[in-house]
Amino acid sequence: MRLDLRGPDQLRIPTIVAGLAVLGAGVALTALAAGGPLGVLAWFPILAGLVVAARGTGADRAFRWTAIAAAGIVLLVLGVIALVMIDRASPVLGKMGLAFFTSSRWSAPDAVYGALPFIWGTLYTAAIAVVLSVPISLGVALFITQVAPRWLKKPMVYLIDLLAVVPSVVFGLWGVLVLSHHFGLGRSFLTAGIILGIMITPIITSLAREVIETTPASDKEAALALGCTRWEMITATVLPHSKGGLVGAVMLGLGRAMGETIAAALVIGSALGQITLDPFAPGNSMPAVIANEWGEADDMHKSALIALAVTLFVITIAVNLIATTIVQRSMRRSRGA
Amino acid sequence: MLADAPLEPGALRRQASWRATKSAIMTSLMIAAVIVVAVPLIAVVWSVISRGAGVAASSFPDFFTREIPVVSRRAGPGMGPAILGTLLVTAGATVIAVPLGVLGAVYLHEYGAASRFARIVRFMATVMTGVPSIVMGLFVYLTWTMTFGYSAFGGALALACLMLPVVIGSTEQMLRLVPTTLREAAYALGSTKSRTILTVVLPAALPGIVSGALLAIARAAGETAPLLFAVGAATRYNPDLLHDANTALSVQIFGNATSSFAAAQDRAWGAALTLMIVAFLITFAARVFTARFALKR
Amino acid sequence: MNRTLVVGALAAVSLLGCKKKDDASATGALAATLDASGATFQKAFQEVAIEEFTATHKQVTINYGAGGSGKGRQDFADKIVDFACTDAPYKPEDAGKVKGGAFLYIPNVLGAITLSYNLDSDKLQLSPDVIAKIFQREITRWNDPAIAADNPGVTLPDLAIVVAHRSDGSGTTENFTRYLSLAAPTTWKLKSGSTVEWSADTQAGNGNGGVAQIVKSTKGAIGYVDLSDAKASGLKYAAVKNQAGKYIAPSVEATTAAGEGIEVQPDLLFSALNAKGDAAYPITAQSWCLVYEKQTDKAKGEAVKAYFKYMLTDGQKLLPEIDFAPLPKSIQDKALTQLEKVQVPAS
Repeated sequence: MRLDLRGPDQLRIPTIVAGLAVLGAGVALTALAAGGPLGVLAWFPILAGLVVAARGTGADRAFRWTAIAAAGIVLLVLGVIALVMIDRASPVLGKMGLAFFTSSRWSAPDAVYGALPFIWGTLYTAAIAVVLSVPISLGVALFITQVAPRWLKKPMVYLIDLLAVVPSVVFGLWGVLVLSHHFGLGRSFLTAGIILGIMITPIITSLAREVIETTPASDKEAALALGCTRWEMITATVLPHSKGGLVGAVMLGLGRAMGETIAAALVIGSALGQITLDPFAPGNSMPAVIANEWGEADDMHKSALIALAVTLFVITIAVNLIATTIVQRSMRRSRGA
Repeated sequence: MLADAPLEPGALRRQASWRATKSAIMTSLMIAAVIVVAVPLIAVVWSVISRGAGVAASSFPDFFTREIPVVSRRAGPGMGPAILGTLLVTAGATVIAVPLGVLGAVYLHEYGAASRFARIVRFMATVMTGVPSIVMGLFVYLTWTMTFGYSAFGGALALACLMLPVVIGSTEQMLRLVPTTLREAAYALGSTKSRTILTVVLPAALPGIVSGALLAIARAAGETAPLLFAVGAATRYNPDLLHDANTALSVQIFGNATSSFAAAQDRAWGAALTLMIVAFLITFAARVFTARFALKR
Repeated sequence: MNRTLVVGALAAVSLLGCKKKDDASATGALAATLDASGATFQKAFQEVAIEEFTATHKQVTINYGAGGSGKGRQDFADKIVDFACTDAPYKPEDAGKVKGGAFLYIPNVLGAITLSYNLDSDKLQLSPDVIAKIFQREITRWNDPAIAADNPGVTLPDLAIVVAHRSDGSGTTENFTRYLSLAAPTTWKLKSGSTVEWSADTQAGNGNGGVAQIVKSTKGAIGYVDLSDAKASGLKYAAVKNQAGKYIAPSVEATTAAGEGIEVQPDLLFSALNAKGDAAYPITAQSWCLVYEKQTDKAKGEAVKAYFKYMLTDGQKLLPEIDFAPLPKSIQDKALTQLEKVQVPAS
């Protein structure tokens, strides 16, 4: 007697055959209907196909392959992005070579493109943003976890979440019409740095909070028992324990600040050739240049802008990767998982 | 140690009080940090409400339903097509990114575990979370828009690419929280792996998955750069996802932010208010979901 | 219950993909959706023209995305828009890459680019060489003798000049810099283009509105802004010395005067910059709309042709209100003749 291990509602049709056949019928129907209201009818054969596929033999394996395909899409999309962007960036890189990254002259009429000032601007504004944001974020995270009474913790977390959800374009709008125009701060590295700093604070705060909360309570209690004040307890137990995670959180914020387009484009000043430490000078950043100059660019100019995008991509990816590795390693160490 | 240092009377108490003072100073700095964080948030929200509510409330509900004035210098509502556009693009992105993301995370956690393919995919998903939104916008323009023209679908594609890695990450985290015992019980009852995932694991992790997806959606709704390149500029309602130009709240805000005409600027603030309300509602829903239904660590 | 929900949701979603069929109704009224993109210089005109045209042709929708002349030309070449507007023609090597076959340049507006400034004095006069030197940062203070030479009898303050220009690529920048190359060829060194290498100590704004904002809020600022935005922001603008040696302030009349007697090529390309004529405002820019000669869709083709005709006839009356100038009659007639070349399929 052979054990029939199929479920009671399984069909004898192989999943693949049934699924493909009915899906194909559905697609054909959709094409026929050519987008008219009849398109609705096409969904029924597609759905029927899915149901039959789910009940056929080999359904388990089919599901596994679907899941693998879904995971593979990530690789596919990234691969296509890399291919397309590098292909379109190659004309300008072929023309300028490495000088693209090291020279400062950006002149479209002469077809001379040097990205250094924009790379500088991106890094400089992000640095200002981080310098402004880190003490604040750390302070808030420590407050929420160590100082705040229990009834205050949840509202504070909501407050931080609210700040995180404000769309970046609203920050840009506020920055250009209120901060820059009303308060007369003008457009400069500093104004952009302030806006970016405000935007990355919730990210760093949330991550810092999570890392800090993994500090073992026993360590903290031991420190307090030995007579430490609250601040001494923090410096003796919380900070050493969370060091790695905090560094990672800061770097993630840095990555986000570098990639921000709209808010920066509106308030940074869009000046050329500026490689200076003067925060009040107007400058430019890679995403801002791309957004501003794309509309009127000719082919070589577009290639240069895409090359900028690739550069930005590589730098932000590198920062993000380093950050995630550090955070993951420290969380794993602290949780022992 | 105490025997070595000669102690004057009161030295210990002075030391102790300086330490307490230092701790108090630090605590007040932390409170100051909280105030500093609250200030821009209140300032932005105040600006948006005071400038945006004027336009939105004076012509309620016209602001949300009327078409965008073709002549941008003219005062008056509304932002209807932009609201529809944002909804279309965000919904389209969700429909693409969430199923793919959940399935991908299912593979990574349930099937792949430590295999090389899974590790590469996980690595690449982390890489993908860092792609700046403008790079995604350029990519969609160069591939989709240049072939098929402006449409809401192009915008949805770009946003889906931005959402996908985030959904994968948060779903995988949620799947990790489902106790293995649940799975083992299902296997013991004769269920296949796919059935277990679909009927036991996913429902258990569902609230967490939903709240993670909601957070990704909230962020996508506010994105501007990708839409600038893919969606075009429409002033009339366009419910057609696949054809013809459309618009979105974020695009309208950006376009009107530098206008010389006060009427256009007013509409920008109104659109900002609408967008913020939508984003807040979605985030709030996500937090409530997590608090009430999700599995806890 | 779940299954019903899923089926229902999918059905609703599929309706989103339905394309409204563009078929003309029985009465033969125009019905189509047209996508367009291009110059921001023309945006104000496109907006009023679209509004008036679609008010009488209720089944026509026109979406004009002002992403810049370059984007307009690119979108038109890729055939993802039905028409485009541009401040500058295609470069010879790009003209061959246009996908839809032969196309036409149809001029439709003339507009003035003002030199808006923020000073107490109301009547500022500038000659091309002085303008070039200011924007190249060779003249940095308002009481410079060169500026005084253009303004006899006026005391200018000892104030630093703040130069404002565009941060985004712009056809306005291209026309402004081309004017300087024509009118001050030995002085102007920065060449001409949608973006040029402005000196580092200048300010940049996004769009005409952005530059207007800078000029309005900075004492001693000067920037190039189209007349429409300058008036809307309440800015003062300078009178510029034209080829005939007269200082002319920008206005609709002066802009139209610049259009008189322009030499127009057979394909309707021309330049209104640095026009001759006593009353001509020298920084007058022109803009065209691009349309395919052979239309492929009947409904869209009819709508495009009708809209272009409207822009060249009744639409011209809308221009003075928004501070642009109508085309001179000779160019208008030539444009209408050119428009007849557009062939619409019979079905």
